[in-house]
Amino acid sequence: MLSDISLGRYVDTGSVLHRTDPRLKVILYMVYLISIFIVNSPPALLVLFILTIVQLIVAKIPLDITWSTLKPVLPLALFILVINIFTIKQGDVLWTWKFLTVTDVGTTRAILMALRLVFLILSTSVLLTLTTTPLKIADALESLMGPLKVFRVPVHEASMMMSIALRFIPTLIEETDKIMKAQESRGANYDTGSVFNRLKGYVTVLIPLFVSSFKRAEDLAVAMDARCYRGGKNRTKLNPLKIKKKDVVVFILFLLGAAALIGTEVYFKR
Amino acid sequence: MDLAVKVKNVVFSYKNEEGEVTPDKALKGISLDIKAGSYCAVLGPNGSGKSTLAKIIDVLEIPDEGDVVVLGVVPDNEDKCYEIRENCAYVFQNPDNQIVGTVVEEDVAFGPENLGVPLPVLRERVDAALKYTGLYELKDREAATLSGGQKQKLAIAGALAMDPKILILDESTAMLDPVSRDEFLSLVETLNREKGITVITITHDMNEAARCEKIFVIEDGQVTMEGTPAYIFSHPDAVKQAGLDLPQDIDLIYELAKLSDSSVDEEDLYDDTARIRTAVRLASKATDMPAERPYNKREHGDKLLQITDLSYSYDAGKHYALEHIDLEVYEGEILAIVGKSGCGKTTLISHFNGIVRPQSGDVTLFTRDGETLSTTRNKDVASIRHNVGLVFQYPEYQLFEETVAKDIAYGLVNMGAAEDNISIRVKEAAKIAGLSEDVLDKSPFELSGGQKRRAALAGVLVMKPQVLVLDEPAAGLDPRGRNDMFETIKALRDAGTTIIIVSHNMDEAARYADRIVCLKEGKKVAQGTASELFEDEKKARECGLSMPVLYDFSSKIRQELSKTHPGISLMPPLPFCEDEARSIVRSVLTC
Repeated sequence: MLSDISLGRYVDTGSVLHRTDPRLKVILYMVYLISIFIVNSPPALLVLFILTIVQLIVAKIPLDITWSTLKPVLPLALFILVINIFTIKQGDVLWTWKFLTVTDVGTTRAILMALRLVFLILSTSVLLTLTTTPLKIADALESLMGPLKVFRVPVHEASMMMSIALRFIPTLIEETDKIMKAQESRGANYDTGSVFNRLKGYVTVLIPLFVSSFKRAEDLAVAMDARCYRGGKNRTKLNPLKIKKKDVVVFILFLLGAAALIGTEVYFKR
Repeated sequence: MDLAVKVKNVVFSYKNEEGEVTPDKALKGISLDIKAGSYCAVLGPNGSGKSTLAKIIDVLEIPDEGDVVVLGVVPDNEDKCYEIRENCAYVFQNPDNQIVGTVVEEDVAFGPENLGVPLPVLRERVDAALKYTGLYELKDREAATLSGGQKQKLAIAGALAMDPKILILDESTAMLDPVSRDEFLSLVETLNREKGITVITITHDMNEAARCEKIFVIEDGQVTMEGTPAYIFSHPDAVKQAGLDLPQDIDLIYELAKLSDSSVDEEDLYDDTARIRTAVRLASKATDMPAERPYNKREHGDKLLQITDLSYSYDAGKHYALEHIDLEVYEGEILAIVGKSGCGKTTLISHFNGIVRPQSGDVTLFTRDGETLSTTRNKDVASIRHNVGLVFQYPEYQLFEETVAKDIAYGLVNMGAAEDNISIRVKEAAKIAGLSEDVLDKSPFELSGGQKRRAALAGVLVMKPQVLVLDEPAAGLDPRGRNDMFETIKALRDAGTTIIIVSHNMDEAARYADRIVCLKEGKKVAQGTASELFEDEKKARECGLSMPVLYDFSSKIRQELSKTHPGISLMPPLPFCEDEARSIVRSVLTC
């Protein structure tokens, strides 16, 4: 049950995109994020659709995984679609029934909004989570935020915290499962009974989980001390981020894609 | 003589959260010298100050008084402290709490990265450490997915990459199964031999300590004995006084000495060959035929729990955690389930009370009231959970209530027991579990580790289960705590509770269980009494079992005796040293 949680799931297909420098991927992701919100016309949407398909193919993401990333957001997309169809009242009326009115502008915009969300999720997955390990994302953020160190922002510490948190997710999931089983053996119930009883059931899991997490944190701090951790100063890295020629090529191609997208949008808006 | 560590008159107290010094001193003027390149063990009961001493040596704690010199460095400023830590690697008890990196190679690199080792050298060091520990193939794996044994090797690899001169092992093998433990110890011994790294190991395992060059016994913050294992164990009374145990082989020698009215000195215990020679000499010297100790093999009662063709898979049939398990548990017996880590033991016992429901097959319970309940039927599950109590490994981590009494009562309250009944039953359960009444009103988080475990045990006992399932009940306890725990378990059985123990300690399984069931890769590969199981050493090893130390030693003695006493019985040994000593002497005299 708990093992189904797929927080930022990473799927290694060994594609070019997987091996691209994570910093460039983070930048590309920002670019696409903005582009997706600029898109407003159907032709640009078509370009975005084609671009996303190309990205999925380049990243070698299998269809079933694409589907499983999309599935959880479909209800939300549907909700956005319905709300927008019925609330936007500009343009020619296509259909009315009692207080419900559907217009042509409303329909176009509703579809646009829903699709935008779908593409947003796909882009996030392809450019970041599915193709980049959480650790590399943390590395990339540390490196990109590097200049902030001048203003005494603890960039290294923040990145270290993030990667330790990621490292302990599986450990804590395992522990939660164990505690739940132990309390269930003593008659705890998480699935049936009144809301109050169910909440109480979760308290019996959360308290021991907190206590042991603090113990783990303390142990880990001592272990890090014993391994001479003194913060980010003078630290070297086993796998430093290095931008290679191939990374630059991928970066430029993806940028061109984004440019085409914005170009189409601007052209058709006029 | 080159000293790796010199500790002189060190006093240390922990500070509480408000920064006040706690009145109980953890170390009370402790002094010891550790020779460079030596391999030594620090023994002592829980709370004696062993781990504190180790942390003082690695300057993770600074002594209140006294001097510490490590590798000739006096830690009087921060840089000196780091110089010591750089050369002094530390492996902790819980493998999960010392892994920093998400990926194996990144965790190994963590130490040298902190030291600022530049790149080509860094990569070389990491790869060399991985190869040395046999983890190179796994370097890109996520660290969380490693087994317990692999995680401890990873900790060693991380230490090796820092190129240390001293390696401190703080109960590093406590959570490992015998096979992983042996592998781990041989790795440590190789490092000591080949690289001349000084090894300081803190352990509760006497057989492990017997492998070292030197032992320090610590009691109440002071060194009370030091010397070679032969010297320490030639003072059995002092060892037992300190709350420790004798290794099984040495215990057997003392039992033989008793039967032949002889004494044992340091020389006799010098090493493995000397010990066998001593045992053979003592066994041949005895003249009086010792009486056989009444060994009442228990007749078991009716069938209580029936597991039929049980299979279970966590990944929809790609790999089976349990495969076609058939098993009966009888009323009033102690059944041990043994096998390597990851063989499916925990999955199996989770089926016993319906926490995990069978995917195929059936688990049936025949209750005292003559009912037949099955975990495949929804309506039976609640009733099965009351009748089958399950105590998981390290149960102290499941306590949550404000007071111990409330925590113990939790299961009863869930069952809907009558209010006035509850406090009586809580007190009863606490007593059986060995908790004194005055802790009942305390917060469970104030208790010591051993007390917490007993509180968790009481929380299951309070439901008066017919069957009590215990997963590694003695893991992490010191020798005295282990013995007490097994005495409690035996008392429960005598009071009519059927017991199922999961264990990877073969000596204990042989000693306390009426029957042993062995799992390997999700299949039941053997079952029977200890003597049946360990009769054929080759077959036992094929099942993934390691021989109990006593069995191993005793077989060697009998082999050796058969040279001078042809026709001596080579029958399988008995699990208790006293019985086995009598059995050896009897077979020598009858032959």
